[in-house]
This record gives sequence, C-alpha cells and structure tokens, in this order.
Amino acid sequence: MPETLPHPDLVAALPRLRRYARVLTGDLHRADDLVQDTLARAWEKRRLWQAGSDLRAWLFTIMHNVHVNQYSMRQREFAQASLDADEGPAAGWEIPVRATQSDRVELAEVLAQVGRLPVEQREVLILAAVEELRYEEIAEVLGVPIGTVMSRLSRARDKLRRMNAETPSPLKVVR
Amino acid sequence: MSANLPVHDDELQAYADNQLGSARAEDVAAALAREPLLAARVAEIRRQNAALRDAFDPWLAEALPRKLLWAATGRSLRGRWRWQPWAALAASVVLGVGVGWFGRGEMLQLAGMPVTFPRQAALTHVLYASDANRPVEVWAAEEQRLVSWLSKRLGYSLHAPDLNTVGFALVGGRLVAGNEKPGALFMYENADRQRISLLVRKDGSPSRETAFRYAFEDGVGVFYWIDDVCGYALSGRIDRGQLLAIARVVYGQLAAAEAAAK
Repeated sequence: MPETLPHPDLVAALPRLRRYARVLTGDLHRADDLVQDTLARAWEKRRLWQAGSDLRAWLFTIMHNVHVNQYSMRQREFAQASLDADEGPAAGWEIPVRATQSDRVELAEVLAQVGRLPVEQREVLILAAVEELRYEEIAEVLGVPIGTVMSRLSRARDKLRRMNAETPSPLKVVR
Repeated sequence: MSANLPVHDDELQAYADNQLGSARAEDVAAALAREPLLAARVAEIRRQNAALRDAFDPWLAEALPRKLLWAATGRSLRGRWRWQPWAALAASVVLGVGVGWFGRGEMLQLAGMPVTFPRQAALTHVLYASDANRPVEVWAAEEQRLVSWLSKRLGYSLHAPDLNTVGFALVGGRLVAGNEKPGALFMYENADRQRISLLVRKDGSPSRETAFRYAFEDGVGVFYWIDDVCGYALSGRIDRGQLLAIARVVYGQLAAAEAAAK
C-alpha cells in the first residue's frame, strides 16, 4: 500500500489527463479545474493505487468519476449542445501548434467532428483510438460493461464516417 | 474458434485496434484477404484512428499551468485540502541530486514547452537516474519485452545498445513524455553506480545530419545526434571524454543494427 504516488509518472501523465479532461468538458478552463480536482482526489485515495499498475488508467477512472459526480449538470448541457449545435464545443478545441495551412484545415475538421459526438461516444473514442487503452481498461474507467464500450465505439466511428462522407474536405488523405 | 465462423463486427473493430487475440486475429486476417469489403472497413478504422491521433496529439505539447504542476505534487493552490508530507519531499529536492522532478516541472513550465532536445534529455536523465527505486518501467531482465513495447509506442524498430564492453549494464527502460511525441529512455549503470541514459525520439522527417553535438545542461553532459528519422541523446554526469567514447559505441551499434535490418 503506497504512502505516496510516483511523482514523475504523475507529472508525465498530466498532458494526457488534461487532454482527456478537455474531451470530457469541451472547455479548457473547466478541463483544468477537472484535472485539479482529479489530482486532489488521487492524492486522497493514494492508498488505493496499486504500485506497479497503470497509473494513467487509474487516473482516468478517477477523472471520469469526478466528472460524473461534480459536472453531471454541465455534462448534460454540453452533450445537449453538441447534439444540436453545428459547431460543437466552442473554446478549447483549437489547434495549438503551428501546422501547415492544409494540415490545419484537416485537423480542425477532425476536432470539430469529434466535438459533435455525444460525450459518451467521444470519451470511448478518445480512450480507444487516441490513448490506445484496451477495451477492458476502458470498461473499467467508465464503469460500464465491455459490450457497451464496443457498441459506443462502433457508433462513434459510424458517425464520424458519415460526417466525413458529407464533408467535401480532403480528410481521407491525412495519412 | 474456427476460421469459417463469420467475422463479427466487434471482432473487426478489435482487429483494427490491434486488440484481438492472436489466434482469432489470424482467422480475421484470412477473412480480410478473401473479402475486400471487410479489408476496406479495417483500413477505414485505422485511417480514422491515425487522423484522430494527428488531431489530438498536439494538445499534449501545450505548456501546463503551474497550478496543475503543483496539484500533481499533492498540493493545491486553492487550499481546499493539503497533503502535509510534501515538506519532506521539498527537503529531499533541496538535498537530493541536483534538480529533482519538481525542478523539472518548474523548469519545463518556465521554459515553456517545447524545450530543446539535449535539454529534455538532461532533465529526463536527472529525473529518472536519481530515482533509486524505480528508475525504469521495465527492467533489463525483460529486455525483449521492453524493446518491443517501446518500439511499438514510438512506431520505430528500436535497439537497446549493449554497453557491457564499456562497463555499463542495461538497467531497463521507460517511455517518457516528449515535446510532441513520447520518447524511449534506456538506462545503464556501471559498477560505481553511475548511471547514463540514452533517450531516443522519433522525428517526422529524415535528416542527414549525423554529427555529434555536446551540451552541458544542469550539470549533465549530453552527446546528441540525429540519424535518419531518430534523434539520440546520451546523458550522464561523467567525464566528457568518457561520454563521447560511449556515444561512439552506441552510434556504431545502432548503425550496425540498422544495416543488419536492411
């Protein structure tokens, strides 16, 4: 039972925690509050972390729970907004790096499309495709059966594919 | 499972995500070879995954707010709660070897990411080489697993140089945060418990520049070079001449491994 958490690993996980928080909240300021609350909770529960196990997955689990508990109202607002609004979440989804002009358009389009997904599909998609967590880990992070993970993931991908088909931009050549 | 069983949608998805068990993955691969429509769906999912990573990975390179770096240490600027033993930690930073992890966080913050490659190498070295208990994620006993895991994460076939001839044995390795992409760190130790580390990062475009360059950052010597699509940095608190000699051994072995692979 660890008295402390591995600080270097915790610091190293910060960018990913922050990214996931942004995906959940759709807003950079709320995301940072969520990361901060998650870290606080992680330190409170540090004795529950099993040394040697995947710290990142454990932190995602805490973040998910904190978000569900404290941000459920906002989450509903956001999920609602993303369903009917054309532009998806506003702040926090911009591309921060100096990409070339054509890259920028493509990357911005991908971000916008993901922003239009309901939050429960968005989170599964990011954890699977971007964080490359195993489906079992995702099921644990979200506290849902693995079948639910698979079906949400499949729906998210179908939706993206359909959005992509409707978009005239050259998304297909990203890689 | 039989190869004749039809491929379920979930299996197709798991296959595209590299999460299907190896036995069934062979069945699915065979089915893909027979049915172009299935193959196209797998290709589409993989394209989508790559596009998503391209879009979301740049977020990882953004500078972190100071309040989050503090919160990661168990302290909160809001003062809503407090973790007392951090004081002991701060003391260990003062007394400890050079710049501890805390200094690194602060420095990354002050410098604003991205930092230069040799600087990142020096900071990473200080951060992990000074960690007595857990300098690496995977120990040298599992070298094969270590190398294949890091290769997978970097998307490049890595090779852990054998430095026994110069008195350094492999301790193990770990994945480390980079400016935009993760890097691989191999840690070595000699009989005097001195540690050196080799940081490997994969760059986007090939480079012909192979000259050794030297940097001295926060008391750590770093020889670094770029070879083809990878950047390498060998860091340690050892004599510059000795470090250069080891860097030449590393370079030679990597070149030999690359030639053998071609």
